[in-house]
Amino acid sequence: MDEIEIQKCGVKFDPPSIVVVYNDKGSTKKRRRTMPLREFTKTSNIEVAAEELKTNPRHGKYVSQITKHQLIRLVTIIRDKLNGMSLEASLARNDELDKIDPEENLNTVDEETLKRKKAVMDTTFTKHQVRPDDPKFQYDVQVAFDEENVMESGWDSDKSSDMEF
Amino acid sequence: MAKNGEPDYDQLGDEGECKVKIICLGDSAVGKSKLVERFLMDGYKPQQLSTYALTLFNYKTEVNGTKVLVDFWDTAGQERFNNMHPSYYHQAHACILVFDTTRKVTYKNMPQWLKELREYRPEIPCLCCANKIDVDYNVTKKSFGFAKKHRMPFYFVSASDGTNVVKMFTDAIRAAVAYKNDSTDFMDEIMRELEHFELETNSKRSNGKADSSSSSPRDDKNDTKSSNDS
Repeated sequence: MDEIEIQKCGVKFDPPSIVVVYNDKGSTKKRRRTMPLREFTKTSNIEVAAEELKTNPRHGKYVSQITKHQLIRLVTIIRDKLNGMSLEASLARNDELDKIDPEENLNTVDEETLKRKKAVMDTTFTKHQVRPDDPKFQYDVQVAFDEENVMESGWDSDKSSDMEF
Repeated sequence: MAKNGEPDYDQLGDEGECKVKIICLGDSAVGKSKLVERFLMDGYKPQQLSTYALTLFNYKTEVNGTKVLVDFWDTAGQERFNNMHPSYYHQAHACILVFDTTRKVTYKNMPQWLKELREYRPEIPCLCCANKIDVDYNVTKKSFGFAKKHRMPFYFVSASDGTNVVKMFTDAIRAAVAYKNDSTDFMDEIMRELEHFELETNSKRSNGKADSSSSSPRDDKNDTKSSNDS
């Protein structure tokens, strides 16, 4: 099914497109594919556009090789450009959106930010996921961790936010 | 039967089953939905309650030979408004409190979630779980004091690779049924295990002298059910 290997992905602004450089499995010959985002404007919904590309009968097999968070990032960069943002500013903004800060409270961020952070976390989730079709899959996985030889996490030491009640 | 289309957990199920409600609490993106999905696996379609932004997962099981209908309630992102609609807590029989081992802020917010829970449900059993241990298993060699401090069972889990997910939910269901049946036996059993561990480590750290405050840990038991509120 994965007969292609994506080497690189990027964007083209005119017309708005996602570009991939890939080669067929077992071959070293590089190919390039440009996949336009149809009727994409500065107000288009990013996830919808990404999903459309993924389900496109011609482009789907290439697009589905890119992680969701990377695809969303690319589409966001295109939309930022349509909104008049410089590439530099857009890259900086997108780096910020893709960064997971262990101290950042995600309960209070806007919808776009939360979705982006979730997409980044989903990449790790999927990487470690043991799916039911995996020979290693077990429904009930029980692991008893050694509770004796443990170190303090250090997350309890900061009294300032540990509210007593 | 139910107001606003919400299930009523005081009623028995259509076949006389015991009905319990289990809620999940914790910050955005700690993996609450993914945990429930891992426990239920594919094929379970959540039910959306139109009245409030809530997601409900139904599950059928048996506890000690009795049929039980479990509803797992998921926040559907409502935690983003920093507190949950009271209907989320209404009639809940157990709570699973989740934090993300890769994000300290989600641990630091645990006291707030517990405080809000206790405002609505002062006595229901509450379990604590540390999710996303698959990101770095070394986290399981660390101690997190919150659960012990609040006398809760604690689980290291991963919704991604499945570690301890089924055990945690099975314990939560047993605790919910025990609470509903006005019995604290199951929670007592879990707490005894925890206290045993606490005594051992205390004596180890103080060279055999057990700390007097933990040698009679039942005195401050604060989760005894005193009213029949559901």
